[in-house]
Amino acid sequence: MQTLISRRRVVTGSTAAMLGTAFVPRFAYASDPINIGSLTPNTGGGAPYGGNMAAAIKRTVDQINAAGGVLNRQIKLTQEDGETNPETATRAADKLINVNQVIAILGTWASSVTLGIMPKCQSANVIQMCVSSSSDIPLRDTKGLVFNFQILNPVWGRALGQLALERGYKRFKLMALNNDFTKSILDGFVDAVGAGRLLEKPFYYNANQASYKSEVSHLLEGNPDAVFIPGYVTDFTAIYKDIYRSGYKGRVITVTFAASAPFKAAVGDAAEGILHGYPIPPLDSPAYKQYLREAGLEDNGQIQHPYGTLCRDQISVLALAIQKAGSIDVDKVKKAIVDVSTGPGKKTVYNVLDGLKAIRAGEEINYSGAGSPVEFDSHRQTVDRDVQLYEIKGGKDVVLTTRKG
Amino acid sequence: MLAYFVAMATYAGFFMILAQGLNLQWGMTGMVNFGVAGFYALGAYSGAILSTRIGIAPELAIALAGVAAGVAGLVVSLLTMRLREDYFAIVTLGFGEIVRLFALNEDWLTEGPRGLRIPARPFDFGLSNAVYSLVYLGVVALVVLVIYAICERIRSGPYGRTLRAIREDDVVAGVLGKNVLRFRVQAFVLGSVFMGVAGALFAHYIQNISPDTFMPMIAIFIWMSVIVGGYGNNKGLLLGAGIVIFILEGSRFLGDFTSIVTSQQLSSIRIILIGIILMAVLRFRPRGLIPEPKFMSEFEKTS
Repeated sequence: MQTLISRRRVVTGSTAAMLGTAFVPRFAYASDPINIGSLTPNTGGGAPYGGNMAAAIKRTVDQINAAGGVLNRQIKLTQEDGETNPETATRAADKLINVNQVIAILGTWASSVTLGIMPKCQSANVIQMCVSSSSDIPLRDTKGLVFNFQILNPVWGRALGQLALERGYKRFKLMALNNDFTKSILDGFVDAVGAGRLLEKPFYYNANQASYKSEVSHLLEGNPDAVFIPGYVTDFTAIYKDIYRSGYKGRVITVTFAASAPFKAAVGDAAEGILHGYPIPPLDSPAYKQYLREAGLEDNGQIQHPYGTLCRDQISVLALAIQKAGSIDVDKVKKAIVDVSTGPGKKTVYNVLDGLKAIRAGEEINYSGAGSPVEFDSHRQTVDRDVQLYEIKGGKDVVLTTRKG
Repeated sequence: MLAYFVAMATYAGFFMILAQGLNLQWGMTGMVNFGVAGFYALGAYSGAILSTRIGIAPELAIALAGVAAGVAGLVVSLLTMRLREDYFAIVTLGFGEIVRLFALNEDWLTEGPRGLRIPARPFDFGLSNAVYSLVYLGVVALVVLVIYAICERIRSGPYGRTLRAIREDDVVAGVLGKNVLRFRVQAFVLGSVFMGVAGALFAHYIQNISPDTFMPMIAIFIWMSVIVGGYGNNKGLLLGAGIVIFILEGSRFLGDFTSIVTSQQLSSIRIILIGIILMAVLRFRPRGLIPEPKFMSEFEKTS
């Protein structure tokens, strides 16, 4: 049988192609570029954020390289798509680690992805920088390689719980989307209001349901003063419609990205009075204002690119740490990461270029970022992120207060 | 670089096992199983739970994971065998989601959305990481070969002819005195066992599984493997699964050689490319790259 692609040709061709790339000799020179990888959620559930996360990392690397690099070496950035899916992200991490020989993987967003690639990174001694909120991350990081730039959720939930108490609510019911980040938010909320004020143990709902009627009627049983529902915008919109239809008169509390613009567009005036909150970038920080200029955005007083700003901080801190460590030895770099970002009595810098100059001049620095002041605790988790609380009035978010982290 | 090829070959091995399971069910017997991800997840979770929670040897856990998936396959197939093809497909899709949602919600057993960490390493004799990954590839390759041998034996024997007859027309097969139900259940259970073993091997390889790992997308990749390779032909599937991994992962290298497009655009281009290749294969090789050999009688062969 005469065919276009014979089996032999396919086998020979693909084998030759693979082997061809395998045996290019590699020697390390001091002037070789420094390999760094990013694994942002460009597609899938994190897609609304992945684009500006990847772009923020790329922009900062370009700035560093244009100014002569780190340790007189250029940074070679390889950007992969984690697809917000741990199954494919693990293979992408395999490529970054084994082919691109990266010393660090930045920009993982979903906790499942951060945790999913962790065994590979730990065994290859690769630094991870993430914006995931799972409280399991520090527990599983036995080698001290994972740096979390996202605020840990108990702080976040606690701020919302305190607000609810101040408003005088006494009887609560809680329901959350069943994923990792909401679990730790719930813990913080319960911690603040006290378990005794819950009418019932919190329960979880699943994403992508067409209707949440039975969950909602269960939630409203006993007519609580306020309900707290951390989730994402798609499920929260469906849930809120069912709550509104039921004629519930109590207060609804959630997280800011569940009550974001698409939600308000979908429910209109019915959104009146919802309380929500979110860890915010330091809006007055020079670093945040610089970020807006770099990204070509107008300063409108609202939070823009919550994760893009954090990614700018990741690559900046990493570059500064490499300069500080004087080598790309991972064990030295991971110590230097805390050194250049955390602790009092040092010179505060707001961008990577100023920081590199200061380190070369022999100064001790503390990088303060666009997404947070970047201070790590002993588990390499970000502390000190401000949480801003809002109430929806007349279709707009009205700031109630900002709680210092 | 070598470490990367070893890892990709190992992933291709998991896909090959899954594809052979699906081929037995769909390619040879005509049962449309969209629940591949469910059986994969069931194998992964039961293997992981047996080895980490109950503490039995991981090698044994992998084998038992196959049994667990087989039992699930038996139940699913007995409950649904009288459904017509498309309805059967919907039920299997539902089964896949049931397994995923069970893993997501039954925290006490599966750690829910936090994911289950699997520290146990099967076939480990205190080896270095580089050697261990080669050993693991060897084990996966061996499993692929054993399953290939089983599938080839089935395909070339009278048993395989019966399965194909059921695929083409189950009424005719029944009229000819074949017990259609029994053959279908057997093929489905055996295919499920393969998928379960693949799942447990995968779980112990990546050492961290969460419900998000087993999205229905996996089923699509396995279907792609079988369709691209050539359904009904075991050699074709091995090639198909290899090609699917090659396309999925090889397309990542585009980013290393071009800087014209942003990484976000590149992600979309990759996925478009995968779709185009699938369409091209189906246009020019509708029965797959290595089609199933046409059955010829002894008379035709000699003439």
